[in-house]
Amino acid sequence: MSGVVRRVGLSLLGPVLAVLVALVISALVIALIGQDPLEAFRVMTDLGQSPSQQVQSIVVILNRAVPLFLAGLAVAVAFRMGLFNIGVEGQYRLATVLAAAAGAAVALPGPLHVLLIVVVAMAVGALWAGIVGVLKVTRGVSEVISSIMLNFIALGLASFLLTGPLRGSPPGASIITTAEIPESGRVPSLNGLLTALGLAEPRSGLYGFLLVAVVVGVVVAVLLTRTRFGFDLRATGLSPSAATASGVDARGMVVKTMLISGAIAGLVGLPDLLGSQYDYGTEFTAGLGFLGIAVALLGRSAPVGIALAALLFAFLDRAALPLQFADIPSSVVTIIQGTIVLAVVVANEIARRLALRSAERAGASAGPSPQTGGDDGAPPPTAPDGGQRVHTGVPGDQQGAQA
Amino acid sequence: MSPADSPAGGAAAGDVPLAVELRGITKRFPGVVANGDIELRVRRGEVHAIVGENGAGKSTLMKTLYGEHRPDEGEILVDGRPVQFRSPADAIAAGIGMVHQHFMLADNFTVLENVILGSEPTKRGRLDRAGARRRIEEISERYNLGLRPDALVEDLGVGDRQRVEIAKVLYRDARILILDEPTAVLVPQEVDELFGNLAELKREGLTVIFISHKLDEVRRVADSITVIRRGTTVGTADPRTTTAKQLAELMVGAELPTPETRESTVRDTPVLQLVDVTVSDESRRPVVDDVTLTVREGEVVGIAGVEGNGQAELVDAIMGLRPLAAGSVLLGGEDVTAWSTRARREAGVGFIPEDRHRQGMLLDAPLWENRILGHQTRPPAVKGPLIDRRGARADTARIMREYDVRAPGPDTLAVALSGGNQQKLIVGREMSARPRLLVAAHPTRGVDVGAQSVIWELLKDARAEGLGIVLISADLDELIGLSDTLHVMLRGRLVATLDPRRVTPEELGGHMTGARSTAGAA
Repeated sequence: MSGVVRRVGLSLLGPVLAVLVALVISALVIALIGQDPLEAFRVMTDLGQSPSQQVQSIVVILNRAVPLFLAGLAVAVAFRMGLFNIGVEGQYRLATVLAAAAGAAVALPGPLHVLLIVVVAMAVGALWAGIVGVLKVTRGVSEVISSIMLNFIALGLASFLLTGPLRGSPPGASIITTAEIPESGRVPSLNGLLTALGLAEPRSGLYGFLLVAVVVGVVVAVLLTRTRFGFDLRATGLSPSAATASGVDARGMVVKTMLISGAIAGLVGLPDLLGSQYDYGTEFTAGLGFLGIAVALLGRSAPVGIALAALLFAFLDRAALPLQFADIPSSVVTIIQGTIVLAVVVANEIARRLALRSAERAGASAGPSPQTGGDDGAPPPTAPDGGQRVHTGVPGDQQGAQA
Repeated sequence: MSPADSPAGGAAAGDVPLAVELRGITKRFPGVVANGDIELRVRRGEVHAIVGENGAGKSTLMKTLYGEHRPDEGEILVDGRPVQFRSPADAIAAGIGMVHQHFMLADNFTVLENVILGSEPTKRGRLDRAGARRRIEEISERYNLGLRPDALVEDLGVGDRQRVEIAKVLYRDARILILDEPTAVLVPQEVDELFGNLAELKREGLTVIFISHKLDEVRRVADSITVIRRGTTVGTADPRTTTAKQLAELMVGAELPTPETRESTVRDTPVLQLVDVTVSDESRRPVVDDVTLTVREGEVVGIAGVEGNGQAELVDAIMGLRPLAAGSVLLGGEDVTAWSTRARREAGVGFIPEDRHRQGMLLDAPLWENRILGHQTRPPAVKGPLIDRRGARADTARIMREYDVRAPGPDTLAVALSGGNQQKLIVGREMSARPRLLVAAHPTRGVDVGAQSVIWELLKDARAEGLGIVLISADLDELIGLSDTLHVMLRGRLVATLDPRRVTPEELGGHMTGARSTAGAA
């Protein structure tokens, strides 16, 4: 058991170290711009005075964490197989605009309507990411390059669709949006659940999509660690050559993994779309795809870690507004997030080496190493099963030969 | 017959100043002693050959001498003074230069630029091309290298490139040159030219250490020879008085594996048939050329050959890792040419890859996950589409017990195991699936002697039970000792089929280098 504790400890070590280092660096930066770091941290951690304010803060954090979690998962699935899907941003923006339009265009009974929107979003995200996969296996295009390039195309395409064929807002409106999704296509809030728990009713609704995100997280966790497919995926990530030799079709895996990653990416915009916005517009939340990369890194590409990382990033995002009220630049938040990402890359590597060393020590302590080496001129060791029929060669003659 | 009394060599040359002397050099890597108790004495101004089989430890030794890693034990003396090299830069400063087997040249640079790269002469802060050109022309003149400083390296042939490499070393004032398998890439005429250059170097008082496993070349060019086998020096020889036969015996071990009184277990049913198999490389040259062979149940078919003659590609072709340009692969009579690697594995093909770190293991994964690797579709590690963690762990524990894999438990990371233990795990894993055919590429490479004999024993037991084995190895002991049929592969072709009970390593070596075969002539 202590081995398990030790391994969990080691895997937590990296991210925790990273966050600590980031806080220290951020404190220095805050001090440099003439503000009191302790005051800033106090403002950031202050969730409000009254219970209803606190519940409201928590709901804001959770509502922000849900899309971040999904974005982190999308990136992580590709990460685990050694693919860098930087295209989550474009995938979710394009998916959201099309899903919003599809949702507004049809009228279906409640759950079916939502399901349709979800399916459209996942399909669009998967297709857009699938382009990256197909380009990689057929033309050898690096997924980093193609997914970045496809981001630009996706964002341009989304703008075109929004201002052109999918425009739903009246001409001359200052904010251009798609048509609003009717009631049946919206995901109800979980506020009833909060009040049932005896908590104060928050001002904004807790996204019902939270439950979907949890389910997706569990599915991804099971897929990665418990299924054959997940094993093939992780094996390819750990060693493409060994995976190929073991019978994994590496090219097929690239395409499948990108499709899954893209399908999850397609969900990223839905919590906001179905929980509070009900349409896609020029003001729709941007940047989730890029934050997702940071969240996946911090969470070490494991669903539980990503959930924690998403909560941390959401917590930091929420602090932006209170910081401004306290006359402290809200870019403090961005600085902390940025330094976390930098620190986590370094810390993960340090933690990896520590884990490796402890593994090596464990291996070395497993009884005497069998390396007696005939090279030293030692007598040929007898095989444990007593078998010595095979001529083991030479050790006997070497000494005589050393002239 | 013992090798100790056959060669005499340079032991008597006590008063000649030694350019390089190695005393008791030992270098260990995790799980394997790459070099043990190496003794080497190279006199100034001679061409000293170091011969040995592939994997005997020649390259490790040369890396030690060139400062690429530090020995665990022993001393290095250059010109009689003990030295310690922390990096190749130290070795270069001590006058040692290395010409690598694989050229390290920038193709889009000129000869001049390549030679000075890394030690550019400057004049008032600017590159002194004129000065560099003068020196290169002087070197070229003096050693008869025939360099054209302004030619682009990409336009040069292999022999010219090698001379550029030599010039690079000389430009850095090396007095001792190490040439690692310099003839491996050359055609016969180029070899002659190279030997001419080496004579020039010798005439100018430079010392050349020449690494090779080609006995005929070594006997032509070397003034003295040190033989290395299984990581240690086993003797020195004088090329003028030593016959190729004696050298070969030194190289592969004097006491040849006795043709054991083993009954043949070969049955009639073919397991694997290769019919006119041809595999091409990127430039469409055939690297495996029209190979036809049959492996029957209970038969070990050995493939001998100097490395790089198509054995690796042949393995890839059998495993479905590389498309065939022509021909077909039959498994138990069924044409599997178009089958994927996974389908072939499911049909009962086990695989012990040549490079276990690259193809056989997930180093950063626990042992039980490595148990699953290659067997993702079969029990006991999987149940339907799901991984059976408990089953995989239990079966890993069984393999560890039965195959003597020494590790704390199934959750240990593979990277923590020694090479021998990793290999035993791989062998155990492949055997556990009860394959019909086992493709074993260098199954005992880099493992200690204890693990080696265990692995040999396992292969023999499995063969007795009807397993067909394709054995590819550079270890002649292993090939002769285990094979029922022995093919020799040269330049992608099977050039000879030998009876392992009668063949001597010397004969085998002759076939491997093409000296004894007419079929393989280029």
